[in-house]
Amino acid sequence: MNVNFNNRDPVYIQVIRHFKEQIATGSLEPGEEISSRRELANKLKINPNTAQRAYKEMEEQRLIYTERNLPSRITKDEQVLKAVREELILQAVDSFITSVRSINVPLEEVLDLVKENYEKHCDE
Amino acid sequence: MIEVKGVTKKFGRKQVLKGISFTAEKGEITCLIGINGVGKTTIMNAIMALTPINNGQILINGEEIHKGSYEKITFIPDAITMLPQMKISDAMQFMDDFYDCWNQKRADEMLGFFKLDKNERISSLSKGNTAKVNLLLGLAMDVDYVLMDEPFSGIDIFSREQIAEVFTSHLIEDRGVIITTHEINDIEHLIDKAILLNEGVVLKEFNTEEIRENEGKSVIDVMREVYQS
Repeated sequence: MNVNFNNRDPVYIQVIRHFKEQIATGSLEPGEEISSRRELANKLKINPNTAQRAYKEMEEQRLIYTERNLPSRITKDEQVLKAVREELILQAVDSFITSVRSINVPLEEVLDLVKENYEKHCDE
Repeated sequence: MIEVKGVTKKFGRKQVLKGISFTAEKGEITCLIGINGVGKTTIMNAIMALTPINNGQILINGEEIHKGSYEKITFIPDAITMLPQMKISDAMQFMDDFYDCWNQKRADEMLGFFKLDKNERISSLSKGNTAKVNLLLGLAMDVDYVLMDEPFSGIDIFSREQIAEVFTSHLIEDRGVIITTHEINDIEHLIDKAILLNEGVVLKEFNTEEIRENEGKSVIDVMREVYQS
C-alpha cells in the first residue's frame, strides 16, 4: 500500500480520508476485516499512535466497528456508507469547481465539456 | 517518562548545554532536532550518565539514573562500539553476557528482519549494515527506553527505509524512544514530538500531529520559523 501523505494535514485525518476513498471505490467492502493498528502503521509507514488515533476516530464516526477482541471491520450501516460516498463526491465536485472557476469558464460550457469527456473516460 | 530539567554542561570554557528541559514519554517517539554541534549527543550522554552534568536533574520514571537503570534504558550511538574482529554473533553473545535484559529471540528476529549474516565480521560490514547491527544490539534489549543518536546519518536510502520501518513495527512496541537527527524528511510522519535545539537551548517543543491539526504546519515549516527568524 502506497499512500502519499502531505506534511501539513494531520496524518490521522489523511488516514481516515484514505479509508473513506477505499470504501467509496469498493476496494474495502462492508463488513470486511481491516488490518490491525500495528499492521496499518507498518504498511503506511506512520507512527503507531497515529494509526491508533485514526482507528479511534473511525470508530466514533462508525466507519469501522470492533467486536470484543476481534479485528476491526468496515461498517455495514447503509446510512454511514451512503454518507461517505456523498462526502467524497461533494469534495471532488468542490475542488473541480474551484479549479474551473479560477479560469472563468461559464457553467454551460463546463457542463458540456464534462458530459463529453465523462463518456470518453468511461470508454478508456 | 524521561524528564530533563534545567541541565547545563560545560566542556572547558565552552557552555554546550545552557539549561535544557524537556520530557519524553513511554510509548512515544521524541525527536531532538538541530544542526551538528548543538549538543544533541551531549544530551544523550547526559541522560545515560556517561558524562557528568554541571546543573539540573535528569529523572527516568521519577528516579535519578543508577546502576540498575541500565537494564531499563539503552543508548545506541552513531558508531558501533564492538571490536572490528568480532563476528555479529560474538557481539550478540557479548550483549547476552553483559545484560540480563538481552532478548535473544528478538535479536534473531532482527537478524532476519535486516537480512544480516551473523557470521559476518564487524570490520567487513557496509555502513548501512553497521548501522543495522548497531540498532539490533540496542533494540534486542528488553528496556523501556531507547536512545538513538543519528540512526539515519550517512547511509543509503534503502537502509534508511528499512530502519524507518523498525519504528512502525512491534520491535519498538510501547517503548519510549528518543532519537536525534539533523534530517527530518525520512521520519516526519513517524515521530510524536519534536524538540528544536540551538546552541544548547530548547527553542521549541511540540507534538507534530497537534501542530499540523491546529496550525496547518509541517515540521519543516516550524523549523523554518524557529531557525530563520
